Amino acid sequence: MLSFAVESNGGAVDLQTLILSLSRYWADAGCVVQQPYDLEIGAGTMHPETFLRVLGPEPYRVAYVQPSRRPADARYGSNPFRLGRHLQMQVILKPSPDDVQRLYLASLEAIGIDPAVHDIRFEEDNWESPTLGAWGVGWQVLLDGMEITQFTYFQQAGGIDLNPVAAELTYGLERITMFLQRRNSIYDIDWGVGVAYGAVRLDDEREASVYGFEVADVEMLRRHLEDWEREAGRCLEHDPPLVIPALEATLKTSHLFNLMDARGAVSVTERVGLIGRIRRNAIRVAKAYVAQREQHGFPLRGAFEEAG
Amino acid sequence: MATFLLELLTEEIPANGLPGARRQLAEAIGKGLEAAGLGGAAVRALSTSRRLVVVAEGLPERQPDRTERVTGPPASVAYGKDGAPTKAAEGFARKVGLLLDQLEIDSTPKGDYLAATVLLPGRPTAEILAELVPAAVAGLRFPKMMRWGRGEHSFVRPLHRVTALLGAEVVPFELFGVGSGRTTEGHRVHAPTPFELASADSYAGEMERRFVAVDPGERSRAFTTAAARLVAEVDCRVHPDDELMAEHVELVEYPGLLLGGFDEAFLGLPREVVITTLRHHQKCLVLERMDGSLAPFFLAVVDRRDDPEGLVRQGNEWVIGARLADARFFFDEDRTRPLDELVPGLQRLEFHRRLGSVADKAGRVGELAAAIAGQIGSPLPAAELARAAGLVKADLLTGMVVEFTELQGVMGGHYLRLAGEPEALWTAARDHYLPLGFEGEIPASDIGRLLGVADRLDTLAGLFGVGELPSGSRDPHGLRRAGQALVKIVAEAGWELDLEAASRRAVELVADRIDGDPAAAAAAVSEFLAERVRRYLIDVVGVAFDTADAVMAAGWAKLPELVARARSLEAARSADAFRWLALGFKRVRNITDGQPDGSVEEAAFQQPEEGELHRHTGQFGERLDECLAARRFDDAFAAMAELADVLERFFVEVLVMTEDEATRRNRIALLKELGAQFMRLADLSKLQIEGGNG
Repeated sequence: MLSFAVESNGGAVDLQTLILSLSRYWADAGCVVQQPYDLEIGAGTMHPETFLRVLGPEPYRVAYVQPSRRPADARYGSNPFRLGRHLQMQVILKPSPDDVQRLYLASLEAIGIDPAVHDIRFEEDNWESPTLGAWGVGWQVLLDGMEITQFTYFQQAGGIDLNPVAAELTYGLERITMFLQRRNSIYDIDWGVGVAYGAVRLDDEREASVYGFEVADVEMLRRHLEDWEREAGRCLEHDPPLVIPALEATLKTSHLFNLMDARGAVSVTERVGLIGRIRRNAIRVAKAYVAQREQHGFPLRGAFEEAG
Repeated sequence: MATFLLELLTEEIPANGLPGARRQLAEAIGKGLEAAGLGGAAVRALSTSRRLVVVAEGLPERQPDRTERVTGPPASVAYGKDGAPTKAAEGFARKVGLLLDQLEIDSTPKGDYLAATVLLPGRPTAEILAELVPAAVAGLRFPKMMRWGRGEHSFVRPLHRVTALLGAEVVPFELFGVGSGRTTEGHRVHAPTPFELASADSYAGEMERRFVAVDPGERSRAFTTAAARLVAEVDCRVHPDDELMAEHVELVEYPGLLLGGFDEAFLGLPREVVITTLRHHQKCLVLERMDGSLAPFFLAVVDRRDDPEGLVRQGNEWVIGARLADARFFFDEDRTRPLDELVPGLQRLEFHRRLGSVADKAGRVGELAAAIAGQIGSPLPAAELARAAGLVKADLLTGMVVEFTELQGVMGGHYLRLAGEPEALWTAARDHYLPLGFEGEIPASDIGRLLGVADRLDTLAGLFGVGELPSGSRDPHGLRRAGQALVKIVAEAGWELDLEAASRRAVELVADRIDGDPAAAAAAVSEFLAERVRRYLIDVVGVAFDTADAVMAAGWAKLPELVARARSLEAARSADAFRWLALGFKRVRNITDGQPDGSVEEAAFQQPEEGELHRHTGQFGERLDECLAARRFDDAFAAMAELADVLERFFVEVLVMTEDEATRRNRIALLKELGAQFMRLADLSKLQIEGGNG
């Protein structure tokens, strides 16, 4: 039986302190602190504060937590290392500052990781999202052998070459907490105030697994995917195009696809076709966004000058 | 003489780009210096995970002076009728900086021209370097380039500092918006404070004091020494992994190595799982006991010289423990369902866009394996092969193989063994991806061999059928290795399998999915396999290339027989008789190629040598019948050698291309008869014999 309370974590940072400290740190570094997007999405990258803000000439700096849903990664709550929904801390710095590595390392100090007594390495790991028409190059950051952050210089999003280039930092929050607290299960980490992660999350991990792998109505998902795909098209064809509604409709199709995929309902050939359809809409949204910002005179040009 | 130092301090460069970058840099700078007349310097390129470094020793301060002949206007334009210099002559004199009476006339085929020899003083080496280096760096190619910041530049990673010194002086230039200077910094943790370099020669010492080992060779040696010391502490040895060790060298600035341990209980996992878990995610080396069994220890690379609070070791041990626990979770979970239940799911796994799912492929492979079994007289029933063809691929859907693709086959083997399946089947799952090309053992069981051959033959037939052939160095599907492995299995299993017929059958099975003429695809697969067979004879059997060509010309599609024939010819060909026979046979081919067939009329013989050759050819044919039936190729080639004298006498005494047509035809028929018998063994005209022009 899982107990409600956790053992003392020996002074290591807990999950909510991690979130608060990173938010504070990046706010001080000149970031807008945003909130999670209120849709089911697979990664912080899909949040418009990343996917759209990295496009076009305007600078931007933002930090936020994003619950990220990956139905196929769920394990009925029985695997101590894997979750169907986890928390990412997402930071976008556009353009990428010259001292972005130093800024990042200082963020680790802000959560109690002193580089002087740890081994921190940047090992090549490139990133690509076929559904978003996006890719970048960068590293996984290893702390004493543990992957704690994905660090990416975005090169392209929505099929558009990015100029300026944004740096994206994605902290895996549960992993970092687990590592710092030396827990052997995610469910045993201290969320904060002595409450265990499992006490908060275990039931919904179990239920989401049952739903995603056994219960989800594939025909319904397929129908909704088609509906939302059409809706994205309607928003884009509206005059003027409705950028955010079109993106939201596209993000829904992406999540519906992930659910169908987890359920084993996507055949080989269908898979390539569906990803292509989602990407086409993502690319259209990206173009519409840049056009809209241009029409508005790129209002954020000149912002964030003080930052860093 | 001075030393030039270039250091580019960047963000961490991908390990796979560094060896190539060093080669390119040394070459570009070396060639550039040579082109500028500054050759002879020792140019070395070095690197760490975030530095590219060039050191060139023994550079002069300036280029040597040179003279150059400069041609001016035609003499007819430069001087008036009265011989007085014109404006054109004065202009040329000004341009070359000489007085009018120092100009000379060069006679050329186009006429006389004003000319002058000018002295070009050598430019300072620093100036040359300031032009050469930015071009050399901008020309570097990495597997993946990137842009950063305002996106103006493209390089492997953002560049932060450029240190460029010739002796004690800064070589001034700009790279990607960064100006060169003499400031650099040491190790990020141990010596981060920027400092000024007094001279290029002090670089190595300064960096060493700041915990940066700039020379990859030195880091490699340090790793080896440290590994030997650490493994001795626990009475173990390193499970060798050259590829991983080469990568380690590129991952750090300081070559730190750490010994860690994990819970012995994880050694209950299959050996490959432990090794792959540590290697794949953590790039850790695994340790073995002296008896070869795995030990619960690992070596991790760290980019630091110490572990002051023990946190680095603790952290690595925690991660390894978590990774192994995760692997154990997969291992336990995967075994809750028999692999048979996963087979239908192979329909969801794509083999190739045009060639269908893995399930489609397994269906074809089962059928092809049964056809091959029939040909080689294997008693394995078709139904058993059909089941096995799906079952050996089922591990692709297990959690472990989804996580670690490189364990495909290995996991299927373990899971089937643990489920109590017969050894011939579980080893087939384990082995059917083996060997890799010509390297390694062929599968242990007949099922493994049949599936291994059928799987690859189906791949070749399908991909050739849709036009995805390897070309030049591009072979994305690894078809050459697949072909090599196929040939090795057939040869070493000793199968009397006709590879041309098998290729046709494979193409038939996939015919509804491919373009064009199936017969052409089958011919292309055969031709491709013939080339692998040739390489097999040369690289693995070890015969000379022309021995391979000679025996293959007499039929190549049945490998055990071909290999034996090649070995016998290789042994026989060094004898004098064969040297002569090869020349003689070339002559036979030259005379008979393109001539119409005819029968030998003994009554038309004019000379005793004709009868003798005819009789010996007949006897040779009979001996060949016996030898070939009994696979006695040494005897067959010995019998062939005995014909050398007879053939020589024939050529000395008999004129084949005689005036009389009937006689000539009969003699040609006689030689054709001989040629046909020879060609049952080898085409000796393919042998490269010294002095042999036929």
